Amino acid sequence: MPNTSVIYNEEELVLLLKQQSREAFNYLYRQYGPVLYGVISKVVYDEQTAQDVLQDVFVKIWNNIEQYDARKGRLYTWMINIARNASIDKLRSKGEIMKGKIHQGEDIVNNLQQGMRTEQATDTIGLQKMVAGLKPEYEVIITLAYFKGYTLDEISKTLEIPLGTVKTRMRSAIKQLREIFNN
Amino acid sequence: MDTRAYIESGILDAYILGALTKEERTQVEANVAMYPELRTELLEIENAMQAFTATLAKELPVGFDNKIWAALQYASPNAGGTQTTPKVIPFTPDYRKPVRWQYAAVGALLVGSLALNAILWNKSNNEKEKQESLNYKIDHLQSDQKQLAAVLDEYQKNKLMMADTGMQTIVMHTVQPGHPMAATVYWSKNKGEAYVSVDGLPAPPQGMQYQLWVMQDGKPVDMGVISNTMPSTPAMQKVAMSVTSGQAFAISLEKEGGSPTPTMQNIYVMGKV
Repeated sequence: MPNTSVIYNEEELVLLLKQQSREAFNYLYRQYGPVLYGVISKVVYDEQTAQDVLQDVFVKIWNNIEQYDARKGRLYTWMINIARNASIDKLRSKGEIMKGKIHQGEDIVNNLQQGMRTEQATDTIGLQKMVAGLKPEYEVIITLAYFKGYTLDEISKTLEIPLGTVKTRMRSAIKQLREIFNN
Repeated sequence: MDTRAYIESGILDAYILGALTKEERTQVEANVAMYPELRTELLEIENAMQAFTATLAKELPVGFDNKIWAALQYASPNAGGTQTTPKVIPFTPDYRKPVRWQYAAVGALLVGSLALNAILWNKSNNEKEKQESLNYKIDHLQSDQKQLAAVLDEYQKNKLMMADTGMQTIVMHTVQPGHPMAATVYWSKNKGEAYVSVDGLPAPPQGMQYQLWVMQDGKPVDMGVISNTMPSTPAMQKVAMSVTSGQAFAISLEKEGGSPTPTMQNIYVMGKV
């Protein structure tokens, strides 16, 4: 009997997933599928690729649920990180870059070097669809780190700003997100 | 350690954004384990990213769930789909005549293997039983939870109803001598809303149903039939029709679906407002 109104907390969901039933899968798919798909689509733009990655992500969650350790963090974050890592790996794999469908962070550097305004630069990596009100320079930082897998050092070199500034800008970016979502 | 400065440096934000190297991550995790205020801050950052990623939710392609489910069945470690085929090691026949100890060794190995099989088989059965009983428990917990949710919902409704200060309680007593029966109407006259509880009425016979009436200037007015799941339960049913005036309420037993006027000898309970 399908019941769409039941909401499990993370602890219950972990138990349910360990059961490996169709019901567990349906719940996982319904509750987390759209967000995982959205996150993956932020990393790899090609729809078919994103769907392939999503399938891999479900397989990983399904087969590694025993490894999930609640003391180390939330289930939600764990799943999102699996999705991010899988799609960033895909992005880095040669084949995907060759397809030319993935806009790389390098685009932004080139654009910035050519003296383009940040707003225009952010358009090239599809940032305009992000949260309304988030400053463009914060969106760039979040995108490079969270969706493209860049380290602090790589971001510093890419945007040509000091390492310390990258970190404080991350702090400001998250602060602004907090304000946006607390209102 | 100056945790305030540590937080303001943005290192925790960088951690959640996944921009740290493995060494840096380990360092952050160690600090977070040591200072609770760092942990609190980390959770706040996590909340912000959780809210943010939730806005990215994208509709999944139709039927994609079945495709993934099939993939899960194939890729499941228990399904054997990903099991690699065992390596085939070419067997070089040995033409030397086997000696007696070789037979003995083969025999010993065979006995050992059989014993091990028996132990493993037994163990796997135990695991299976455990798994089944766990599944059973989870199923039960789930249905208990659903039932509790329904009960809670009912209480919530009752609470809202009771909180209405204009709510009048009218107890209807038996009008059938020798048959002690009772039912209750809760009536909010100004709102025109009424609820009925038939806890004290027996279940109606096959093909029959209780019907509620309100007496307005001596005439019974139909207030609708009462669900047959209601008698002998403390549940309340909202009266379908609006009641704005009346001097008494009554319940009669009618044929299923109700009658336009009450069958007088079948009026079971009645109560004055």
